[in-house]
Amino acid sequence: MIELMNNQLTFRFPEVHKKAVCSIDFQRTLRIPDDNREYPLPPGLGRFPVEHVDDFADKLPDTWRTHGGVFIPMYQSEALWINFSGDYPCAVKIAAGKINAVSGEPWNNGLSADPQDYAVIPEQPWLDGFNVSEDFIRQFVAMPLGEGFTAEEQITGKAEHGGLQIIVYPMKHDVYVEHFERTVEADMDYLDMPMFSRTVCESAAPDMGLAPGGLMRQEIYEDEYGIDAWDQDNGFRCFIHLANSEQYLAITGHQPPHTPPTAKDYTSAGLPWFDYYSDSKALVGSDTLGKLTSVAAKVIEKGKGLLPDNEPVHPKTVKIISKGNVVRDGEF
Amino acid sequence: MTFGEYIREHREALKSEDRRFSVRQVAQRIGVEPAYLSKIERGDVAPPSEAKIRALAEELGEDPDVLLAMAGKVSTDLQEIIRKRPQLFADLIRQLKSAPDHALLRIARDVRDGDW
Repeated sequence: MIELMNNQLTFRFPEVHKKAVCSIDFQRTLRIPDDNREYPLPPGLGRFPVEHVDDFADKLPDTWRTHGGVFIPMYQSEALWINFSGDYPCAVKIAAGKINAVSGEPWNNGLSADPQDYAVIPEQPWLDGFNVSEDFIRQFVAMPLGEGFTAEEQITGKAEHGGLQIIVYPMKHDVYVEHFERTVEADMDYLDMPMFSRTVCESAAPDMGLAPGGLMRQEIYEDEYGIDAWDQDNGFRCFIHLANSEQYLAITGHQPPHTPPTAKDYTSAGLPWFDYYSDSKALVGSDTLGKLTSVAAKVIEKGKGLLPDNEPVHPKTVKIISKGNVVRDGEF
Repeated sequence: MTFGEYIREHREALKSEDRRFSVRQVAQRIGVEPAYLSKIERGDVAPPSEAKIRALAEELGEDPDVLLAMAGKVSTDLQEIIRKRPQLFADLIRQLKSAPDHALLRIARDVRDGDW
């Protein structure tokens, strides 16, 4: 089952293993300049609010009700990154507008090994964008559907799905036992987990979709366990709709978060950017995704001048983080 | 309140506004004899089968799980779930016995996957 608590999706697979739990949240962040320079990792500025579609069904488009899942508010041109947490290995497949963000292929529920179309957590602590080349991604940037910016529209020629799609498969029970059971000491009977003590879940159209923004150094790691390690009979999936922030207020009655700072303001304030190091092997980029036109280039192509707040920045403070120390909170 | 009393009370309430909720017509629609439905309501016979209780729930706009519980039954799908992991679910239900409704609701609430 998938639970929504504290603006975080928690995927539990008690039928596979009592420790098979993984959590995903969506981090607010600044939009890195989209100028073909390479940037380090921007900070996390807190979780996006996440709402059940079913809680506001009468105010949402029919297609959202059909999809089920959740929605988050985003401003046009706002960026996000996807934060993974959990110790039990899981394969996570992520798509934007039903275009796989790792392989560039159209959505299907199963996993593919060649090309690998999923990330493995906890090795992969986060994903900030589309896998455009080895060691580089293009940042996820929200744009209205129907204007030709999103990866979906650039690849399929249609503005049909929007949003984000995620499916999670846990590692098979036997594979986990073989790799970890004798070495992992933590006793986490899921019945004893603090289900009751967690804080209460805080609490459109046109749809938004994700477009490729600026270039960022980020590796998507190769699956070191192999595709047979994943229990594809026990996956859960979720459609995350993106609601324009202005409409979010009308739909939910809740204020959306303030707009994030610009990269220029954040950097000028001397606040940290991040670099992550791991010795895991990185996947090559997707040819399909590598050919996408970024938002700033698309704005120029459309004769709409220049993307606002897109001046280059020169991060002076870059904190190095590594496995076991994956906090990238920003303060602003 | 017994199962029969509950059914009668709710059926009579609906009948006061719509004659289609007479014993005869409700019985016909759920596929039983009117005399049998009358006996159920009076408690002269045991509650009917799960299928008939579900039909009654739909007819009267009631929650089938509530009616099944009042009839001392557990729906087939729940039985199947429990049978797969009986010890775990028995422990879980016992542990949750005293939990407040809001805590139970939080556990029961999952993110619905739809068609996409």
